[in-house]
Formats: sequence, structure tokens, C-alpha cells
Amino acid sequence: MNAVFACMLLIGIVVETVKNGGDAALASLLAGANEAVTLCVSLLGAYMFWMGLMGVMQRCGLMESLSRRLRPVIRFLFPDADRAAAPISLNLAANMLGMGNAATPFGLEAMKLLNENNPRPTVATNAMCTLLAVNASCLELLPTTLIALRQTYGSAAPASVVLPTLLSSACATIAAVILCKVLSK
Amino acid sequence: MISYIIPALIVLLLVYALFKRTNIFTAFIDGAADSLPLLKTILPCLATMLIAISVFRSSGALDYLISLLSPVFSPLGLDPKLLPLILLRPFSGSAAVAITTDLMAAEGADSLVGYTAGVLMGASETIFYTLALYFGSIGIKKTRFTLPVALIASLIAVITGIWFSKLLFPF
Repeated sequence: MNAVFACMLLIGIVVETVKNGGDAALASLLAGANEAVTLCVSLLGAYMFWMGLMGVMQRCGLMESLSRRLRPVIRFLFPDADRAAAPISLNLAANMLGMGNAATPFGLEAMKLLNENNPRPTVATNAMCTLLAVNASCLELLPTTLIALRQTYGSAAPASVVLPTLLSSACATIAAVILCKVLSK
Repeated sequence: MISYIIPALIVLLLVYALFKRTNIFTAFIDGAADSLPLLKTILPCLATMLIAISVFRSSGALDYLISLLSPVFSPLGLDPKLLPLILLRPFSGSAAVAITTDLMAAEGADSLVGYTAGVLMGASETIFYTLALYFGSIGIKKTRFTLPVALIASLIAVITGIWFSKLLFPF
């Protein structure tokens, strides 16, 4: 990540300054920072709601009992999931249903729990890498936003994208799982 | 039908919690309060990533990269109009939506290009953003094999997405 970040930043600043001058470079750097703030403000509402519900789940003991029951189900992918089994499952379920805003708080909760018994807290564990890789290939059962978008642009069959989307994201997910299994050794 | 599932689950959760004699009012407040420290940790990660993406895009370096890569991709039977979408998708969700929208408006949602754009949009994810967010929130510095695996997975999604779109194109 460090190399990617450094390349993008250095190339971006140099090229922009040479082409459009220093003011433009500074403006686009600040535009990125502003975008992050705006995004965070719009995310905060969704996070408040879903994390409030997560608080209720934790208080009534549902998170614990779900984790216990789901542990065998996701053992193949996450052998060391432990208490994080419920948030991991909820993160994957929300992703499949195309609810990105709900998936994030569950995913971040899972990361927090996974890091609790991490012997080296700044190094990612196998389970973390797998969770991210599966998230990145995002197997989506019903891409609701996509269907709505196609409908807006006058498609005769808006939902016809579902099958190819599902098939290609399934291929990507399978590849991600195999790679993670191999590299987890 | 599917739109009823989530509200039903929420109602089920609340009823279960009440049945277990939980104070759902204070539990909800405590849970929601956790979102503020969370946001405090993720905002710097987001800002860092978005600053780099912003300057990389507006400098034109990304467009240059796209024009450099287009001869590599054209033998694969890829319409060059789709290339900006494929290359931008890992970096920025909003930019990818904007490109998909443009393509659907210009070429029609039921053209092969518009159709494929939708499939590629649905089958991939903003990897760099997600990685920065998830790892940044708990202070992970060494991400090991995550980035290469995520990139390979999304490359496979792109290749199979183009292929399945051609195969299953209904119009």
C-alpha cells in the first residue's frame, strides 16, 4: 500500500504542477481531502443506525450466540474467526444483498475482534486478508443499484445483468478463496 | 418481496431483545456512540487515499496510463470505451458510477457496451478504498497478500465479466 500511495501522490503532484501549475496541484490535493470529509459526514448517519442495532445485538447476547452457531459454517474460510464469526457473516450477508453501507460497520467490527487476539497487532492475520479478499470480489446476489440505474436509462430488461454479474463475481470470489487458502500457509 | 426482508429482520431483532429484557434504548445509544471514535480513525485513512487519488486523476496521469494500456487490452476483444471504467473502478466508486452512467446515456443501456459496463460495475469493488478503510481502522501496517489477491480477483471479474456479457447478451 505504501508503494501504491507514494507512486500516485508523487506522479500526480509532479505531472499536475508541470502541466497546470502549482495552484492547480494544491487545489486538487485539497479537493481530495474535502471529498473524504463529505463522504464521512454522509456515512455517519448510516453507521449510527447500523451500529446502534449492533449495540442491541451485543447487549441481548445475540451476537455471541450467532457467533457460536456460525463458527462451524465459516470455518472453512475463517478457521480462527472465534468471536468475530457473527460480524463476519453479517458483513458477507450485507455484501451479497448489495447493502454496502451496512456491510462496512459489520466488517470493521469483525476486524476489531480479529485484531484482539492478534500476536502481532500491526500485521494482518490470515482471516483479515481473507475477509478483505472476499469483500473485494463482492459476490452480489441482487445488484439493486445497478438494476435501478439500467431502468433509469430505458433498458427493456433491467434485470438481465444479474446472471453475468453473478457468474463473473462468483469466478472472482472462488479465485480469491483459493489464493487465500494457498497463501495462508 | 426482498425489500421486506431487512425491516422484518430488524423487527425480529428488537422483539427478541425485548423478550430477553434488554434495555434497547440505552443499548442502541451505546452502539451508535461507537460510530464516532470509529469515524475518527477512518477519516484520516480516507483522506490520505482520496488525496492521492484526486491529484492522480486530475493531473491526467491516469488518462495517460489508460492510453498506454489500451493497445494491451484491445486484442482481448475489449471495447476501448470500457477501459477508463475498468482502470478507475478499484480507486473510486463515484467515478465508476459516473462513467457507467455516461456510457449508458451515450450508447444506450441495452447496447453491448452499456450492458457490459453494468456487469463490470456490479462484479467489482473499490479495492483501494476498502483496504485503506478496513486496515486503517485497526492500525494494520503490513497487509501481506491482501492487495495482490484482491487485484487478481478483480482482474478475473473483469475478464469473465466481458466474456459472460458477450455470451449472455440478450438484445
